[in-house]
Amino acid sequence: MAGKKMLMKAEKISKYYQMGEVEVRALEDASFEIYEGEFVVILGPSGSGKSTLLNIIGGMDVPSGGNVFFRDDEITLYDDSKLTMYRRNRVGFVFQFYNLMANLTARENVELASEICENPLEVDLVMAEVNLNDRMDHFPSQMSGGEQQRVAIARAVAKNPDILLCDEPTGALDFKTGLSILSLLDKVNKKHGKTVMIITHNAAIADMADRVVKMRSGRIISDKYNEEPIPPERIVW
Amino acid sequence: MKKFNLRLYRHIREAKGQFVAVSMVVAVGIMSYVAISLAVMDLEVGAQKYYELNNFQDVSVELMKINESGIERIRRMPRVESVQGRVFFKTPLEVEDKDEKVNVGISSIPEAENRINDLYILEGGWIQDGRRDVLVLEQFAEARGIEVGDVVHPQIGGKEYDLEVKGIAGSPEYIYLMEDEQNLLPQPTKYGILFVSEEFAQQVFGYSKSYNEVLIKLKNPDEDGIFKDELEKELERYGVQRIIRREDHMSDRIVAEEIRGAKQMANVIPMVFLGVAAAIIAIMISRMVKNDRTSIGVLKAIGYRNRDILMHYAKHAFIIGAIGSLIGVFVGYLFSGPMANLYQEFYRIPFKVRIFSWNYLGMGFLLSAIYCIGAGLWGARSILGIMPAESMRPEPPKKIGKTYIQRITFIWKHISFSWKVVWRNVFRSRKRFVFLSVGIAVTFATALMPAHMLNVFEAMFYDQYGEFMRMDYEIAYTKPLSEHSVMEIRELVDVTGIEGKIEFPFEIENGWKSKVVSVIGLKPDTEFYNLAGSDGGILSLSPGGMLISEPMAYILDVEKGDIVNVKNFIPFKDDVRIKVDGVVKQSLGLNAYLDIDFMQEKLLDEGMITGVMIDSTDRVKEKMEDVKNVSSVNSLEDLKNIFKEFTKLTYAGLSVYALFAGIIGFAIVYNSTMMSINERRLEFSSLRIMGFSKKEINRIVLKENLIMTAFGILLGIPLGRWLMELLQTSFQTEFYTMTAPVETNSYIYAAGLTVFYVLLAQYFSSHKIKRLDFIEALKNRIT
Repeated sequence: MAGKKMLMKAEKISKYYQMGEVEVRALEDASFEIYEGEFVVILGPSGSGKSTLLNIIGGMDVPSGGNVFFRDDEITLYDDSKLTMYRRNRVGFVFQFYNLMANLTARENVELASEICENPLEVDLVMAEVNLNDRMDHFPSQMSGGEQQRVAIARAVAKNPDILLCDEPTGALDFKTGLSILSLLDKVNKKHGKTVMIITHNAAIADMADRVVKMRSGRIISDKYNEEPIPPERIVW
Repeated sequence: MKKFNLRLYRHIREAKGQFVAVSMVVAVGIMSYVAISLAVMDLEVGAQKYYELNNFQDVSVELMKINESGIERIRRMPRVESVQGRVFFKTPLEVEDKDEKVNVGISSIPEAENRINDLYILEGGWIQDGRRDVLVLEQFAEARGIEVGDVVHPQIGGKEYDLEVKGIAGSPEYIYLMEDEQNLLPQPTKYGILFVSEEFAQQVFGYSKSYNEVLIKLKNPDEDGIFKDELEKELERYGVQRIIRREDHMSDRIVAEEIRGAKQMANVIPMVFLGVAAAIIAIMISRMVKNDRTSIGVLKAIGYRNRDILMHYAKHAFIIGAIGSLIGVFVGYLFSGPMANLYQEFYRIPFKVRIFSWNYLGMGFLLSAIYCIGAGLWGARSILGIMPAESMRPEPPKKIGKTYIQRITFIWKHISFSWKVVWRNVFRSRKRFVFLSVGIAVTFATALMPAHMLNVFEAMFYDQYGEFMRMDYEIAYTKPLSEHSVMEIRELVDVTGIEGKIEFPFEIENGWKSKVVSVIGLKPDTEFYNLAGSDGGILSLSPGGMLISEPMAYILDVEKGDIVNVKNFIPFKDDVRIKVDGVVKQSLGLNAYLDIDFMQEKLLDEGMITGVMIDSTDRVKEKMEDVKNVSSVNSLEDLKNIFKEFTKLTYAGLSVYALFAGIIGFAIVYNSTMMSINERRLEFSSLRIMGFSKKEINRIVLKENLIMTAFGILLGIPLGRWLMELLQTSFQTEFYTMTAPVETNSYIYAAGLTVFYVLLAQYFSSHKIKRLDFIEALKNRIT
């Protein structure tokens, strides 16, 4: 992609699991690149290997074969401690089920992540960005699903990562709340210039992406640029 | 505060009941360690200081008679630093109640400076008039209410003396006052010591310028063994009865045994408690890690390192240990004061010694930190294996087959639904089942201890003074008398049975082991001693053969068929080698038994006895009161009564163990139940939706706990039996052996106590079920 710097590159990555006597091939020869500032959607039905791909890119899992690069560094050569530092300083995760710490408030959940990073953002500012100033001292059990996902996004963004990896971020939310979360992610991408990668089975979300990578049965079946991404408010499913 | 630490703090606060329960276990362990260690150190240092201040003897000698020149000979021996002759005799003391037989040891005390076994004057002053002043031993004065200025009346050689009490004194020789080895328990109202001037003692006992005891201080106290051999040779002609080294001195020995036993306790108790705490912590943390699997994955995804997360859980364990040990150290330190006072009251050390040692406090803290952090890390070790990616996925449902009980279809068909839930859970959560059962078994075994120990003490004393010794009265002479004296006593008192006996100290050697013991000469067909072996079979006394008591067999490592050497200090008598014919079932006292005729012929003089045993319903004490040459009349009933007093005191001490058992049992059951409820929120919520009431769910948990309690108690029976045997072996001293079997009532008591603690823990954990928000539990997706 002319003019844009490459942020990540996956070269023929594969992941095999041994389940009893059967070898499960979750990912096979997947290659693609992500550029700085891109909004990428990985689309595929469940079992297509998209979560595995996200986990490998995020340094949460290691591939059985192939190479993954973050800028010029090959993260597939990292040891456990380097991978941890990579996750700490370079990547922000947003999960389908928010995965907040139940006994910490919204603000504390965000601080839990920000206080270990090299270059975190101001927590109050991030909380304001996700519209949670007035809910900062609430515990997750006192918040709605949408609010909890906002906290999860704030937690990821506050680390000031290079890439935001979101695993079905709207999967547990209703349509309206899901849209608001997509808008927030769009804002993080457009306003703050963060690279965002969403994996989803919801084809409608692909319409807002700069690039859409489609997967099926562990393989990438297409990798296309979206000529006219639409704003998230116009998405319907 | 770092948010990760804040999470830990809130976690602890949410499960504060569990936290407190485990901390208590740690606290009790550390408290016992600190309190006992500090108090024992006070006792040990106090006794040492007392010995140094008052010049306590290294060696003493009991002999027939030694004059000044004999003392001089000892003084000239190269290893001797100082020496002191003493006249010592036991005599009756006249008291108001004519039925009461009180004995005193009359002990001479010289005017010289640097006296050996010097007295510590507590009240009044020193002897002024050597002919009529007396100093009284503190314990005896206190027990009998004797005060400075009172007059006491010892009977010496049939004559009553009126002596004025000039002072009350303590003596390093009588920190623990025992009349002899046969009377293990102190009886300060029945036996005391009067200290008189040397001049008075020598005159009234007919020892002009001579003594019957010698006290010696050595230049190097560690050489008392070699010195003893040298002294034996040096004093051959003085009729040595026995030479007592410091380690054989009765009072010092008892104190040393107490210190040894207490130190052992100070090491064992904290290990048990910290072991239990460590087990609870390890399981608690491992369950926590299991429940926090997703959270741990998220933390790893955020960028927390394995060691950060591992330390997070280890910190949880450490805080339990730290809080527990801080409480333990503090309360232990507070308790050590009164405990040391009790020690110093019981073992009469006239001044208080309080030593503060950071070592024990630091060690207490360190011990609990090591145990708890170790347990925490062990429990949390599975963190290392959690892959962040995997942990985000829900765990696949476990493959669950039919439990054992489900396979017995005949029974399973007839069980109600709620009982099915109970049985299934008991058999499915095997780790919990094992943990709880073992925990209950430990509780049961600990609770068994107080009940069993009381039985052991009772058995020990009742066996000794009912089964083993069967006379009504024992009369001891002041010196060996002819066998004709039996006839004289028979004329004075109405008796249904009477036998003469010899009781005389001899040193018995088996290889390098030796011990001075009371050797008792009896008629082979004696009716007053039940000389039975451990199998109950009667052992016979035969000329040339010896029977020995169990404690003696233990000390000298002797068994049937061995040949021992009886050292004879009596002038013109040789040592005798005698074969051991059997070991007598006697739990109290170091004794050897010989045929009386054989003993007279080989060891003493023919036709001489040192006392008689009688069966009588007559007023024996009253009638024997003025009889010449009688030093003491003891009834078995008196000894039993003393024991009854003693057991009352023991109850208090043993109840502490019952409480200890409770703390262990409570902590285990409470924690395990709380963990179980926490993990089964979904299951209980589903039951609530199905229509089960909170009470019914509580009942399910109670039934599970009771089933596991029953298994635990069954497991606890062999464990308890093993523990009691271990305890009996470790309590075995040279004064007694404990061999009583564990009785059914002890098991019932321990089981009752265990069930009580389980119910208590159940009661305290039931609020968790009451507060269970089942709708929240069912919809919750927060980690």
